[in-house]
Amino acid sequence: MWKSLVAAIALLAVGGSAFAASAVNKDAETRTLVVTEGGGKTELALAAGETAEFCPNGCFVTMPNGDLEALTGSETIEISDGVARIK
Amino acid sequence: MPSVSRQTIMLFRLLRFVLVLAIVASAQLSLGAVAQRLDQAPSGLIADQQKILQDLTAKSDNFEKKIQEDGEDDASLVDIRLQLEEMSRGALNSALAFRPRLTEINARLEQLGAPPAEGQPPEPDIVTSERQALASEKAEINAVIAAAQNLSIGISGLIDKIANMRSELFRNLLTKRYVLSDALSPEVISDANDEYAGLYKAVSSWLTFAFKFKFQAVLAATLTALSLAAVLFVGGRRLFGRVFEADPSVEDPSYLSRLSVAFWSTLLPTLAVGVFLVSTVFFFNYYNVLRGDIGVFLNALAAVVAVVFCVNRMTNAALEPRLPNWRLIPVETGPARWLVRLTTAMAVVIGINYFLSVVNDTVGSPLSVTIARSFVATIIVGVILILMGLLKPFRAADGTWRPWPAWLRYTAVALGLSTIAVALLGYIGLAIFVSRQVVVTGTVLVTAYIGFLSARAVSEEGSFAKTSIGRWLSAHSSYEESALDQLGLVVSVAINLMIVLVFLPLILLMWGFQPGDIEAWGYKLATGLTIGSVTISVTGILTGIVVFIIGYFLTRWFQGWLDGSVMARGKVDPGVRNSIRLVVGYIGVALAALVGVSAAGIDLSNLALVAGALSLGIGFGLQNVVSNFVSGLILLAERPFKVGDWIIAGQVSGTVKKISVRATEIETFQRQSVILPNSDLINGPVGNWTHRNKLGRIEIQIGVAYGSDARRVHEILLDIARNHPLVLKNPEPFVLFAAFADSSLNFEVRVFLADVSNGILVQNDIRFAILDAFKAEGIEIPFPQRDIHMRSTAPLAKWPTDDDQVEAEFAEREHARAKAAVPQPMIGRRKTRRPDPA
Repeated sequence: MWKSLVAAIALLAVGGSAFAASAVNKDAETRTLVVTEGGGKTELALAAGETAEFCPNGCFVTMPNGDLEALTGSETIEISDGVARIK
Repeated sequence: MPSVSRQTIMLFRLLRFVLVLAIVASAQLSLGAVAQRLDQAPSGLIADQQKILQDLTAKSDNFEKKIQEDGEDDASLVDIRLQLEEMSRGALNSALAFRPRLTEINARLEQLGAPPAEGQPPEPDIVTSERQALASEKAEINAVIAAAQNLSIGISGLIDKIANMRSELFRNLLTKRYVLSDALSPEVISDANDEYAGLYKAVSSWLTFAFKFKFQAVLAATLTALSLAAVLFVGGRRLFGRVFEADPSVEDPSYLSRLSVAFWSTLLPTLAVGVFLVSTVFFFNYYNVLRGDIGVFLNALAAVVAVVFCVNRMTNAALEPRLPNWRLIPVETGPARWLVRLTTAMAVVIGINYFLSVVNDTVGSPLSVTIARSFVATIIVGVILILMGLLKPFRAADGTWRPWPAWLRYTAVALGLSTIAVALLGYIGLAIFVSRQVVVTGTVLVTAYIGFLSARAVSEEGSFAKTSIGRWLSAHSSYEESALDQLGLVVSVAINLMIVLVFLPLILLMWGFQPGDIEAWGYKLATGLTIGSVTISVTGILTGIVVFIIGYFLTRWFQGWLDGSVMARGKVDPGVRNSIRLVVGYIGVALAALVGVSAAGIDLSNLALVAGALSLGIGFGLQNVVSNFVSGLILLAERPFKVGDWIIAGQVSGTVKKISVRATEIETFQRQSVILPNSDLINGPVGNWTHRNKLGRIEIQIGVAYGSDARRVHEILLDIARNHPLVLKNPEPFVLFAAFADSSLNFEVRVFLADVSNGILVQNDIRFAILDAFKAEGIEIPFPQRDIHMRSTAPLAKWPTDDDQVEAEFAEREHARAKAAVPQPMIGRRKTRRPDPA
């Protein structure tokens, strides 16, 4: 019984990765987001059609068009035609 | 000792930590607060957030300075870190406040479209100006968010810096070497005197102040605290008195009762004292009785009293110097008394040293006093440790005293010697750290260990029923022994859980972790712990589980209500009732699981990914299970049979007892339960005697001898069939003249019954009646009989006389046949064949 409980919790934990924000690039070319998280800036390059999970605990993101936005870590960013929309 | 100062505050902090855990579930709501700010006028929004950010920036600058100043104080560093984390969240929130406005602006800009390129007709001025206004507002907002971002980066840098400083501090504490000759000079005595005078002055001035101006408040605070503790202690004694008081009249208490007495008699009084101390400090604060440094002194004093009391209780409980029967460790009475004294003395020394260190810090006495005091304390602790190790606590059968087991003895002596050696070498920080850990961590660990042992003893078979709670339960409730046993298991798990929850934070606190650390861990654990790209959120998972459990019980309740109240009174057919109940149950559980999963914050699309990967394997592996499951659903919907029906499926004939999702339980008339997989019932033919109604036909064969009056027989049989009370008049009973058989004229009585399950009874009755009627009428029921007619034939041929000649002829014939059977080419082939190379 404990084993199955542990397995269930592990599965839940794996499924729980929905807590992070995710970004989808729907364009045909690579788009780059600049993510500021915990004191460091990282560039998140998204190839065409790629989806990435990032920023689980809130961060700042510079969009491809230069806009700066704050994320709580539960949003989905959709990039199409070089414009990012937060959902 | 900066790393462990302000230990009493940690009790409050601990409470706060628990509160944080409880509140974190509503943490998401705080995001809602951000959303509310959005209704403000956009221009006001920018100004507001700018103001907030400016405040935060100023605060963080202050903290940066404070970090430099308070670099030596671990507790204040932790405090600053907590506030910085809060500020970081604040900066993010203030940036988040622009989200709706930004979305609006972007949408409007999109509506306006790009400015016309050269050569295109110019657009109206109003459009141009609006676009410009929007762009400039966007630029402004971007600037504010950039400021928030910079602030957040700065704060993160500060938090990292604090982490570095703290590890540096701890290293310093353990490795810093003091010059003892300076500290142990005669000047120290005068310094100590000065310090004592300072303390005396502070305390006495406070006492005069308190009694002159705040006498009532002091009285009220003390009384409230006392009454709280008394309620806890007396109430606890009332409730658990029998559990934790050693009864001197018991000759040979069980190991479990000794353990539980030791554990509870340590925990409950310590808790009572702790509550008294904490509430005293709290109420003194509340009534503003404390002034200046007195609060700090009082906190330290409370911590010392609590620790000394706990150590004393624990050793007393484990060693019971007065009641040898109740001793956990079988040492002799004299050594037991000494052990209690020595441990208490050690706790007192450590406690006094700690209290004086607080006084030193607040009064600001010279370093030499601190070193000298710590030196003396560690030496005393070392000596006590060695004494304890050298004590001979056991007595052999011949009356000689025996020492501790070697490992324990050597550990204690080595610990004592190394403490003394380290202190003599000048590593006072390390020495005091070690000795404090020996006392406090040792006590906590031993108590926790006793708790674990008692949990294990409770879970042993049959032992819970023998405890006082178990006896009380079995006297006052209908629990049976096995139920009590299971209850014992639950109790043992609960005790284990409680020990981990209570003692783990305590030990962490003792080992120099600050309450803030634990608070931060708790917060992280509750809101989401990130490992790689996976975030584990305990609250999320717990919420999901709780929601599922609630959903499950709601379903069960609804099921029961629907079945028991609605459908039972609606006179719904039991089979339909069963189907509806089962389907409602499955739907409810599935819904509860879905709601639970989404409440846990799990994106089902992630699970879909896993399910997709597994589905092939599941498809093969669980083929049968799935097919049975689907068949079960079809059975419930189509209802070819229901619970209580008499069915025949393949070789099995019996009553349907239960239709569940994988299999159906059928009870044969021999009372054997047969579990048939549902797919068998769907794929194979199933006969149901009681599908629409219970009407059924039974047949009884009977043969009468040739020569009987067949018409009379027919009449008698029909009469018997018609006169049986259970036989239906319509359809009419029918007697079939079935056959001219070998030895009899065969008849078949066919009757219809309203309830075919009575068939056996009716068959019996009719057979008996037939037998009686035939006897009365003189009609014979024949045995199978066969007439054999013998025909006479010619005499048999004579036996040949010359046997030898016949035999010789036969042998010759056989030989010739064998020769002809050997095929010629075989011989040639065998010649060419070579032997095997092997």
